Amino acid sequence: MPTVKGDGMRGLAVFISDIRNCKSKEAEIKRINKELANIRSKFKGDKTLDGYQKKKYVCKLLFIFLLGHDIDFGHMEAVNLLSSNRYTEKQIGYLFISVLIGANNDLMKLVIQAIRNDLAGRNPIHITLALQCVANIGSREMAEGLSVDIPKLLVSGDTIDSVKQSAALTLLRLLRSSPDSIPMGEWMSRIIHLLNDQHMGVVTAAASLIENLVKKNPEEYKGCVSLAVSRLSRIVTSSYTDLQDYTYYFVPAPWLSVKLLRLLQNYPPPEDPAVKTRLSECLETILNKAQEPPKSKKVQHSNAKNAVLFEAINLIIHMDSDPNLLVRACNQLGQFLQHRETNLRYLALESMCLLATSEFSHEAVKKHQETVITALKTERDVSVRQRAVDLLYAMCDRTNAEEIVGEMLEYLESADYSIREEMVLKVAILAEKYAVDYTWYVDVILNLIRIAGDYVSEEVWYRVIQIVINRDDVQGYAAKTVFEALQAPACHENMVKVGGYILGEFGNLIAGDPRSGSAVQFQLLHSKYHLCSPATRGLLLSAYIKFINLFPEIKHIIQDVLRSDNNMRNADVELQQRSIEYLQLSSITTADVLATVLEEMPPFPERESSILAKLKKKKPSSVPEGSEQKETTASKIPAVQMSNNVDIAPPTSINLMSQGESSTDDFVDQGSPQGGSASVDLLGLGSPTQPTAPSVGSGGLLDMFDTLTSHSSAPATNGIDLGGLSGGAEEAFRKFICKNNGVLFENDLLQIGVKSEYREDLGRLWVFYGNKTTFQLNAFLVDVSTPGNLSETGLSIQQKPVGGEVEAGAQVKQQFNMACVQEFAEAPVMTIQFLYSGAQQKISLKLPVVLNKYITPAEMDANTFFTRWKALNSPSQECQQIIKATSPIDHEQVKAKLIGFSVSVLEKVDPNAENFVSAGILYTRNQQVGILLRLEPNKQAQMYRLTVRASRDKVAKILCDLMQTQL
Amino acid sequence: MIKAILVFNNHGKPRLSRFYQYYPEDMQQQIVRETFHLVSKRDDNVCNFLEGGTLIGGSDFKIIYRHYATLYFVFCVDSSESELGILDLIQVFVETLDKCFENVCELDLIFHVDKVHYILAELVMGGMVLETNMTEIITRIEEQNKLEKSEAGIAAAPARAVSALKEMNIPQKVKDMKLPDLPSIGNLKF
Repeated sequence: MPTVKGDGMRGLAVFISDIRNCKSKEAEIKRINKELANIRSKFKGDKTLDGYQKKKYVCKLLFIFLLGHDIDFGHMEAVNLLSSNRYTEKQIGYLFISVLIGANNDLMKLVIQAIRNDLAGRNPIHITLALQCVANIGSREMAEGLSVDIPKLLVSGDTIDSVKQSAALTLLRLLRSSPDSIPMGEWMSRIIHLLNDQHMGVVTAAASLIENLVKKNPEEYKGCVSLAVSRLSRIVTSSYTDLQDYTYYFVPAPWLSVKLLRLLQNYPPPEDPAVKTRLSECLETILNKAQEPPKSKKVQHSNAKNAVLFEAINLIIHMDSDPNLLVRACNQLGQFLQHRETNLRYLALESMCLLATSEFSHEAVKKHQETVITALKTERDVSVRQRAVDLLYAMCDRTNAEEIVGEMLEYLESADYSIREEMVLKVAILAEKYAVDYTWYVDVILNLIRIAGDYVSEEVWYRVIQIVINRDDVQGYAAKTVFEALQAPACHENMVKVGGYILGEFGNLIAGDPRSGSAVQFQLLHSKYHLCSPATRGLLLSAYIKFINLFPEIKHIIQDVLRSDNNMRNADVELQQRSIEYLQLSSITTADVLATVLEEMPPFPERESSILAKLKKKKPSSVPEGSEQKETTASKIPAVQMSNNVDIAPPTSINLMSQGESSTDDFVDQGSPQGGSASVDLLGLGSPTQPTAPSVGSGGLLDMFDTLTSHSSAPATNGIDLGGLSGGAEEAFRKFICKNNGVLFENDLLQIGVKSEYREDLGRLWVFYGNKTTFQLNAFLVDVSTPGNLSETGLSIQQKPVGGEVEAGAQVKQQFNMACVQEFAEAPVMTIQFLYSGAQQKISLKLPVVLNKYITPAEMDANTFFTRWKALNSPSQECQQIIKATSPIDHEQVKAKLIGFSVSVLEKVDPNAENFVSAGILYTRNQQVGILLRLEPNKQAQMYRLTVRASRDKVAKILCDLMQTQL
Repeated sequence: MIKAILVFNNHGKPRLSRFYQYYPEDMQQQIVRETFHLVSKRDDNVCNFLEGGTLIGGSDFKIIYRHYATLYFVFCVDSSESELGILDLIQVFVETLDKCFENVCELDLIFHVDKVHYILAELVMGGMVLETNMTEIITRIEEQNKLEKSEAGIAAAPARAVSALKEMNIPQKVKDMKLPDLPSIGNLKF
C-alpha cells in the first residue's frame, strides 16, 4: 500500500496548523502576512538557501495562494528549482509555475529554456514533468519554442509509453492554443496508427489528439475511421477479464470506448461495407449489453456502462442512417426516462432531444410525450426540468403543438425563474411555427404576457404585432382580445404596449360594439397611461394620434390630453415633443393629409423570426441544426415564413419600431421600403414627426427616416467589407509611408492607432485598438495575410495574439514583429473582426509596412555619390517618373518627406540647390541594397522628376512608386 | 475538455483548484465561489450535472460534481466530454487518493496539497484525460515516492558533511578533499 504522506516538511505542517487554529479571518490574514514577510526575507537575504528550503517555501506559497491570496514573488525561486537535479525540487518548481505563472509572464523564456533542457535530457520522469508543465500552460510562446521537440517525442520509436501518452496530450494542447505555430510534418501521417498501439493509455491520449486534428481536416485523417472501428470492436467484444487493468468495474476500457465513439461522430457512416457492418455490430453489442443484468450493484458499474451506451446512442443519432438502430436507441432512452437514477433521466432527456430531430425516430420520440410532461411537472431537480423543456420543444410538431404549448404555459406559472425567459421564447416560437389558427397564436402570446410579462422580451411582442399586421384575418380578433385583456385591473406593461399598438391600428374593427366603442377604448388605454414608463407612454401617444384618424369623434378628448400640462410640459423631452407635434398635426392638417400620414401600417417583409435569432444567441446548443431543416418544411403556413433574408433587407427603409438609438438591430431594416405610404412610425420613439413633413408625402418623411435609420443602423454597416479594403484604408495607409506613428483607421466603433520602429531589417509595430463604444466588443479577431507570394519571400510577420474581448472604452495593444527577407511591393492586409451588439463587423486595412521603412540613411560626398550613381547604370536598376505635384512645391516640406522616407538628404552634391540628392541602404535578411535617389522639382510646371537607382533589380521601381504617392 | 478541477469543503473552503485554461487570480477565486454557491444549495439526490455557471465558458459549459462526506469534487467541462465518463473519472481520482493516503480525509488534502496535485497530474493533463487505469497511476506515484525517499537521504548527506567540516576547522583539508570520480553521464542508460 503506497503512502504519499512520507516524511513531509515540518515547517509547512506547522504553518498549516497555525492557519487552521486561527480563530478569525483577521488572525489568519495576520499569520499569512507574517509568513509572507518571512519567506520574502529568506528569498532576498539568504543566498545559501538549499533546495529543501526553497521547496518548503514554495510549498507554503502554494498553500497561501489556494486560500485566495495573491502571490507576487517567489517566481524566480521556482524557476531556479527547475534546473535542480533532484526530482522533488524540480517537481515542486514545475507545479508552482503551472499553477501560478500566467502565459505572459516575463520569466516564460527561462521556463521554456528549462523545459527544453529537460526534454533534451533522457530522463523520462523529467521529460514527463516538463510535458505536464507545457500542457497545463500551453502558451503560444511555448508552442513556438517547442514545436519541433514534442511531435518528435510522440512518434519516435524509443519513447516510452508514458512519455508518449503525455506528449500526445501536450501536442493537443499546443494545437488548441496556437494551431499555426506547430509545423505539420511527417508525424501527421504516423499519428493515426497510434490507435493500434499496445498500450491503452497511449491509445486514449492519441484518440483525443486525433479527434482535434480531424475536426480541422477530416479528409486528411480519414484512415482513422477503420482503425477506430476495429479498435472499438476489439474492446466491445472482449470479456471484462481481457483488458485487466483497463477494465473499470467490469466494463472494458470505458474511457477509450467513449473517445472512439466521439471520434467517429466526426465522420459520416463508413463507406466500406465491411467497416460499416463491423461498426453496426459494435453498436448492437453495446445496446444488447444494456439489457443484460448488471454485473455489480455499484453505481460506478452502471455509470461506466452507460457512459459508453450514451455515446453509442449519440453516434447512432449522428449517423442517422439505420432506422432499426435509431428506434432501439429511442426505446433504450425511453427506459431511462423512468429510471430511478436522476443522472440517467437527465441524460436520456438530453439525448432524446437529438433523436427528435431525426426523421426516422421523431415519431418514436413522440410516444414518450406523456412521460416528459410528467417529468416537467414532477422532477425535483431544475437541471432535469430544463432538459424536459428542451425535449418538449424539440419533439413539438403540428400534431402535438397545441398540447405541448398548453403544458408549457401551465408550467410557466410555477417555473423556476432561471428558465422562464428561455421558456417564454420557446413557447412563442412554437406557437408561431405551428399555428394553424392565428387566433390561437394571439391567445398564446397574450397569455405569455399575462403569466410571465417580465420575461417577455421585446422580440416577442414585436413579433406578435408583425404577425397581426401581416394577417388581416386575425386583426379583428386581436383587437377584441387585447381589449379584453386590458380590462384586467392590473396588467403588465408589455400588455399595454401590445394593446396600444393593436388598438391604434385596428381599434376601428371592434368599435361597432358599443361596449368597446371609440371612447371606451381610449379611456381604457388612458387609464393605464400614468402607470407606464415614458417609453410606453410615447407609444400610447402615437396610438392616440392614430385614434384621431380612426375616430374623429373623440378628437377633442385626445387633443385635451395632448394639451395637458402633464404632457406638453413633461420633463421627458420625447413626450413633450410628441405631444406638441401630434397636437399640431391634428390641428392644422386636413383630414386627407391626416389619413395619409396615419394610414394603417403596411405589411412587414417576411423574414426569420427575431425570437429564433435571440434563442440561438442565448443558447446556441438548444437549436440543433436539424431543426432548422424541419422549420423550412414546417413553414408551409402561408403568412410568416422563416426565411433567412435578414441581411438582404433593402438599404433604404423606415425604422418602424426603433426606440431611439437603443433599437434592436433586428428591427432596423424593417418597414415599407418602397415608400408607397408615408406612415408615422407608431413605435419609433426616436423619430419625431414634424408637422411640415406630411405635405411632402412620402419623400420628406422617408428622407427623415433615412437619416435616422442610417444613424441607428450605422454600427451594423460600418466598415463592412465589400470584398476589398474598408473605406479610407488606402489613404490612411499612404500617410504612413513617410511616418511611423498615427491613426490608421477610425469609425464610430473603433479607433486604430499605429506605432512602429525599425532597425535594419527588423521592424516592430504596435497596433492599438480603442473601443469607442460603451459596449464590449466580443470575439475580437485580427488576422494578417500577405498578398501573393510575399509570404514566402518578402516579409516575415509574427503576430502576438490579441484578447477575445475589448472592454467598453478600453484600448488593446497588439505587437507585430516583421523582418524584411527581401524586397516586397504589397503591404500585408489585416482583417479585424468582432461582434458589436451581436452584429459581425469586419474591417480590412493595409498594415503600414512598406519597403522604405527598412532603409537606413547613408551619408556620402558628391564624388562617391556620382561614382556609385554611374555604376548603377543597367535599366533594371533605375526607375524614373515624372510626377505632377499635388500641393505647391515647398523645399522644407519635401526635405521632411525624404527624411521620413528614411533616406539622407545630401547637401552640396547637386550644383542646383533646389534639387535633392539622397542615399540609403536597404537592409533585408539576405542582403543589403544600396539606394540612390534624385528628386528635381520644377516650380513653374509644378512637376517633379524622380529618379531612383538601386543595386538590386525591382527595388528601384518599388521605392519610386512609394515615393511618388507622397509628392 | 476539462476547464477546471475544484475541490472545496461544505463551507466553501478551497482544498484544491486547478485551472487548465488561463484565468487571472481574482477570477479564479470568483469561479470557486460561484461554483460553490451553485453546487452547495443542491440536494444530494438530485443529478450530478448542472449548467448555469456564468464565469467559465458560457453556454458550452457544464459542472459535473460529486459530494463525498465533507468535500465536493467539481469538474468544469465543455460539451466534448461525456458526463458519466467524468463522473467515473472523479471516482477514479478519489479512489486513487484513498489508496495513496490510506483512507483519505480532508486533512490529507490540506497538509499535502502538493501531493494531491501530483496525483491529479497523473490523471489529467492540460485538461484532457491522461490515464484512467488506477494500477498504472499508483505505480507512477510509487515511483515518485521512492525517488523522494532516496533524495531525502542524499539531501541529508551534504548537511552532515558540512557540519563535520566545521568541526575540523582546518581550511586546508577542504582544499585537499577530492570528489570521487563520477561515471560519465553519457554511459548512463535509462
